[in-house]
Amino acid sequence: MSDIFGRSNGASPWLTVQIDHQFAHGATGFSLHIAFETRARRMVVFGPSGSGKSSLLRAIAGLLKPDAGKIQIGSRIIWLKHPGSPATETPVERRRVGLVMQNQAVFPHLNVLRNVAFALRGMDAATQKEKALRLLKLVEAESLADRWPRELSGGQLQRVAVARTLAADPAVLLLDEPFAALDAQGRQQLSENLHTWATEHAIPILTVTHNLEEAFAAGDEVLTMKEGRILGQGKPCEVLATERDRLLFAMGVSSTN
Amino acid sequence: MDTAALLLTLRLALITTSILLAIAIPLAYWLAFTRSRWKTPIQAICSLPLVLPPTVLGFYLLVGLGPRTALGRGISHLLGHPLAFSFAGLVVGSVLYSFPFAVQPLTAGFAAVDGSLLEAAATLGSGPLDRIRRVILPLARGSLLTAAVLSFAHTVGEFGVVLMIGGNLPGITQTLSIALYDQVQDFQYAQANRTALFLLAICFLALTLVYSQRRKNGSVKSSGSSGLV
Repeated sequence: MSDIFGRSNGASPWLTVQIDHQFAHGATGFSLHIAFETRARRMVVFGPSGSGKSSLLRAIAGLLKPDAGKIQIGSRIIWLKHPGSPATETPVERRRVGLVMQNQAVFPHLNVLRNVAFALRGMDAATQKEKALRLLKLVEAESLADRWPRELSGGQLQRVAVARTLAADPAVLLLDEPFAALDAQGRQQLSENLHTWATEHAIPILTVTHNLEEAFAAGDEVLTMKEGRILGQGKPCEVLATERDRLLFAMGVSSTN
Repeated sequence: MDTAALLLTLRLALITTSILLAIAIPLAYWLAFTRSRWKTPIQAICSLPLVLPPTVLGFYLLVGLGPRTALGRGISHLLGHPLAFSFAGLVVGSVLYSFPFAVQPLTAGFAAVDGSLLEAAATLGSGPLDRIRRVILPLARGSLLTAAVLSFAHTVGEFGVVLMIGGNLPGITQTLSIALYDQVQDFQYAQANRTALFLLAICFLALTLVYSQRRKNGSVKSSGSSGLV
């Protein structure tokens, strides 16, 4: 139960995933077959929409229960299931996996400050407020503290969702297209602040994106996915260069080599 | 108006409503989010009191909780008296009779809560009970009020079950609706008129409260989104 998460030993992977899952619903009969491990503290999962990136994050967070496999964070096995037998798992609320979802899911019945303080139970009100304000400052949204979610833009909601997730003291951070609603400048600034924070707190980040530029910027390592399978894993320049060439080739543009 | 009957009715309605909410909140949570195949039959059972003649319910309670069954003997051993023709018996009957009026609005209200909000709460370290308390109940507060008010009003207005299981003992099991029946039997129309008017006013006020809440609630709905996979 302790905080090992591969921090003390840079050689062991912080995340090990092995998932087989068949989606029962959906006409296409989409299935997920993923196996990888990573030591990169800033990992990016890159792929077109519908490639299973979000499902991967949901499985790590515990919101999707795959048919079989194993998910391990550091030395902690949070989910293990052999086909046909019941799963051994840590419930979502005890996984300490911070997930920022695409649709933000900011609580409409709480103002911004209370949203961020949602996970800060058991502290006195002053400490809660102070911590929440500090995190809002990190995402450059402290001026929104007293506002209500219905008054905010998509980009502002994303900032609030990020701050709220950090407040929960996650062991790892999963970001699902976290900056999609921000302009390029805001995206870069928020991404920088977030990665600085994560480095300070020794928290690895896994970012899901279909934006090539963001994939280059946010990852020491990139995992490319398509149709529920892994295409490649490695340094961004290597893996994404192939991807870029593939893209250009598909568009009928001659190779850029 | 008969003050003893009035106080008894209010006491019965308050106790029944409290017990109903305590049972219906976890049950509605289960009904709203389960994928179990038991959901449909359990929903049907919960709604039975809506269509069943109250006398049928009262009859089974009288027999089932009477001295002929082990359950009935156990209860009368515990209470020191049989459940029939006692206030406790009225409470049991009222809880069953008003059951759908608490469970249905709560189930509908809980099911309308955006699933991704519950997922977000879970990833933020909030367990099932905490999610009910801090996400579901605040977002479904309109349904909570509806359930409470309808349970209360329906209990105030019940007649058949109360008569079957409670009899008509003034001060013990005689509720307002039964007092009204007595007053009419005795040709005390002036008194009956007051009792009837009072019951009418309670029901009208209750429904007004429910509908005004619904109007207000329309503007504070959670942002729409797909729920669980």
